[in-house]
Amino acid sequence: MSRPFPYTFISCPCADTPVPDPARKRRSRESPQKQSPQKPAPRPSTSEGEKKGTTANEQRDEDDEDEQTFDPRSPRSDFSLYPPEQLLYCEECHQIKCSRCITEEIVSWYCPSCLFETPSSMVRGDGNRCGRNCFNCPVCTAPLAVSTIENATGNGTQQGPWVLSCAYCLWTTLDIGIKFDKPTNIRSQLQKMTDATPPAAFDRSRQASRTLDSLKHPLSSSASVEEHGNARERERDIEHPAPKEDPTAPPMGADAQFAALKNFYRAQIAETSNSPNDHLSSDFGFSSPGALNRLMSLYTSSSRLGGLYGGNKKAKSKPPVMREALTASEGLQIAPKNGEADIIARLASPDCGWEGVASLDQRKAQAPNARFVGDLLPLPVLLRTKRAKRCKSCKHILVKPETKPQSTRFRIRLIALSYIPLPTLCPLAFSSSSALPSMAPTPDLDSLSPLRPIHVLLTLKNHMFDPVRITLATPPVTPGRVATKVTVLSPQFEIGANSDVWDEALQGASATSSGDSKSAGLGQRGVPEAGKVWDKGRNWTTVVLEVVPGTLPGSSAEGGDGNPETTDEDVVAVAASRKDEDVLEIPVFVHMDWDADAQLDQQNLGKASKADDKVTRELAYWMVLGVGRIQASL
Amino acid sequence: MPPPKTSKSEYIETDTGNKISRRSQIHGTQHIILGGKTVIQAEAVIRGDLFRGASTVDPNNPSTPPPSTPSVAINVGRYSYISKSAILRPPSRLHRGTHSFYPLKIGDHVFVGEGAVIEAAQLGNHVHVGKGAVVGSMAIIKDYAYVLDGAVVPPGMVVPSWCVVGGKPARIVGEVGEGYGVEGADGGLARERYRVVGRP
Repeated sequence: MSRPFPYTFISCPCADTPVPDPARKRRSRESPQKQSPQKPAPRPSTSEGEKKGTTANEQRDEDDEDEQTFDPRSPRSDFSLYPPEQLLYCEECHQIKCSRCITEEIVSWYCPSCLFETPSSMVRGDGNRCGRNCFNCPVCTAPLAVSTIENATGNGTQQGPWVLSCAYCLWTTLDIGIKFDKPTNIRSQLQKMTDATPPAAFDRSRQASRTLDSLKHPLSSSASVEEHGNARERERDIEHPAPKEDPTAPPMGADAQFAALKNFYRAQIAETSNSPNDHLSSDFGFSSPGALNRLMSLYTSSSRLGGLYGGNKKAKSKPPVMREALTASEGLQIAPKNGEADIIARLASPDCGWEGVASLDQRKAQAPNARFVGDLLPLPVLLRTKRAKRCKSCKHILVKPETKPQSTRFRIRLIALSYIPLPTLCPLAFSSSSALPSMAPTPDLDSLSPLRPIHVLLTLKNHMFDPVRITLATPPVTPGRVATKVTVLSPQFEIGANSDVWDEALQGASATSSGDSKSAGLGQRGVPEAGKVWDKGRNWTTVVLEVVPGTLPGSSAEGGDGNPETTDEDVVAVAASRKDEDVLEIPVFVHMDWDADAQLDQQNLGKASKADDKVTRELAYWMVLGVGRIQASL
Repeated sequence: MPPPKTSKSEYIETDTGNKISRRSQIHGTQHIILGGKTVIQAEAVIRGDLFRGASTVDPNNPSTPPPSTPSVAINVGRYSYISKSAILRPPSRLHRGTHSFYPLKIGDHVFVGEGAVIEAAQLGNHVHVGKGAVVGSMAIIKDYAYVLDGAVVPPGMVVPSWCVVGGKPARIVGEVGEGYGVEGADGGLARERYRVVGRP
C-alpha cells in the first residue's frame, strides 16, 4: 500500500454494481447481528489454507449477495477502495460517488508552468500545448528556462542570443545548435527555425541526406507534371552525391510536413468531390458525420443502393481518383536510400555511443524520425485542465472549480467528507507492555506481533449538522489466509452534530485541549471495555477495536513448515494472494442513519418520516482499516 | 526511535505557539518570520542567514553596505511543520552577474518531510513535501500540491494547485482528490500534528 499505516479507505458502493436500495437497507439492518451468527460459519482456520480458496469461492456462490463480507484482498476491491478525501457525494442519489461514478467536463485549459489560461478555441487550433515560453527539456522533462549566453556583466540591458536551458540535466538548446534572438515568443521562433531554415548542420544531416533518386515508388509511374521538377531535382542530387550538407533540399519539419499533407489532401478531396456540399472538404474534416455519408457513397455508388446513400446519379462514370502526394511541397518525404544503414553506422560510431541515442521515452514525445539525442527538440508544455464533475446517473454537478487556473476555490464541491464521518485510526498504547512510559508506547505498526492483541482507536468525525447514529460491523475474522480476529468493542454509538463553525472557533482551543488531556490520560490509564465508547467529543466519537493479528502461513509462529500452496490452488492465485499478505486490513461495515431535514423534492420519505420536517436517512458502506503489517515470527 | 532523554522538554514554545526543537539549527533568526504554531523538529536546518544583500558576493564594489532594513529570508505561515533534518534554504540565482538570494515563503498548514531540502521561492498553503524530497531553487509549489517522497522538483518548476508530483526530475503524476485539505483528512492534519508535538 502506498500510504503509511494506519490508513483508512472507503469502498464506493458502485463496485458491487447497481445494488438496489432495498437490498442495501436489508443488508444494513442485518449487519449488527451479523457478528455472532457468522462466527461458526465460513472461514476455516489458516492451517487449511490450501483449501480455503476453493471453499471460500463455493461459499461465495452459495451465499446470497447480502451475506458477503467485503474482502479487501479480492482483486476487485482494488477498484472500489478510495481514500476518503477522493470521494464525492451526490445529494440527489444520496450515495457516495467515486471517480468511476462520475463524468468530467473541462472547465478551462491552462499551462501548468505559467498558469495562464488558454481559450479552448486556441487549444483546438494550436493543439494543447502552451504557446508562450514554457518548454520542457526533451531529455529529462524538467522545465526549461530562458537564459542568455552572453557573459552578463550586469550593466544595462542584456542583449544577445538566448537559449533554453534545463537546470536539472544541464541540457541547452545549444546542444542542438539553436539560439534565439529575443527572449520572448520562443515557440514561434523555434517553429520557424525547425521548419523553415536549414537545420543546424549536425542533427538533421540525416534528413538532408535523403536522396531523391530513390524515387522508385510505384506512384512515380503515374506521375504527371510535377514529375519533371522531381526529375530535375533528382539529377542534381545525383550530381552532388555528398548530400550531407545539401542546402538545396531543406527538409521539412514534422509540423510543416503535416500541414502540407493536410493541405494537399484537402485540395484533393475538393478536386475529386462530386457534390458541392461535400463535407469532407469542410473544416470539420474527416470526423464530421457527413464524411461517413461520402465514404458510404464511394462504396455504394455503383451498386443499386447508391441512391439510398445519396451517391451521385451518374453511377456509371468512374469517380475521380485521389492521388497521393508527389512533391516535397505537397508533403512527400522520401525515405533516404540507405537511411537505415546510415542510422546503424551512426549508432555504431564512437561519437554517438549509448548517450547519443534517444531513449524510447524521449522519442515518444518527439517527431517520428528523431532517433538521436541531437534530434530532440524542446517540448512545449502540455496544458492541463480544470474539470467539473457530474454524477453519472443523475447528471447532478458534484464539483465545479472556478475557471481561473490560479484559484483553488470551488463553486460547487460535494465531497463525501461533508456527509460521511471521517474515519481516523490510531493505535492505542499497550496496556501491558508500558516499558517506555516517557513516550507513547505505541506498537510498531510495521511489525505487529502475531497473536498478541492490540487495541486500535477508531475515531469517526461527523461533518454534518445532524447527529448521526453509527453501527459498525466487522467479520469476526479477516478474510484471507491470515486470520486476524477483530472485535469492535462498542459497535453502536452516536456522533454529535457538527455545530456552528463559530462555536468551534470560539471554544476550539479550550475544548480541544481539554479533550486532549482527557484522551491522553485515558490513553495511559484507561482500560478498553466492551460496550463503552472510548471517548467522545462534540462531533466525534472514538471506539476501540480489539485486534488479534493472525499468524502468517508458514511462519514460525504457526509451528508448521511453510508449504501451504502445494495443492490444487492455481499458481497465479497463490502468487496474488501471497503479495502483501502480511498487511493487516480490516473490513468494517459502516451503517449510519440520521434525521435530516426533509427536502421538498424528496419522494421516498413516506415510510420513515419522524417529525414534521425530518426524514431518516441512512447510508451504508464498507471501509477498510489498514492497521499494519504482521511480523513473520513472534 | 525514542529521543534521548533531556531534563528540559525538547521543544521551546514561543508566545505565538511555535514549537521549536532545541536541537534544530536555525541561523539568522532575525531574518526568519514564523507565523505561529509552527513546529520545527530536531536537526532541521533553517538558513535565515542567506538573505539578499549581506551574502551577495560582489567583488567589484564590496563597499556598498547591505540594506539597512533587515530583509526577510524565510517566512513560514501558521501550522506548518518542518520535520527532522529538513533543510530550508532561501533560493538564489544569478541575476545580472550577481548571485543573490531571494526570500523563501512557506504558507500555512505546510508539511515538510524528514530530510527534505527546500530551496523553493514559494510553498503555498497545505503543501505536502514528502520525505527526502528536494525542491529546487526558485521553484514555486502552489496551494494543495503534493510532492511525493523522494521527488526532485527541478529548479524553477511550477507545480500547480492540487497536483501530485513525483520522480526525478519531478513530473505531474496525478491530482489529489477534491477533499484534500479538509480538516482532519489527508492534507488537513496540520492542527493535529501540531497538537501532538512535544506532548509527554
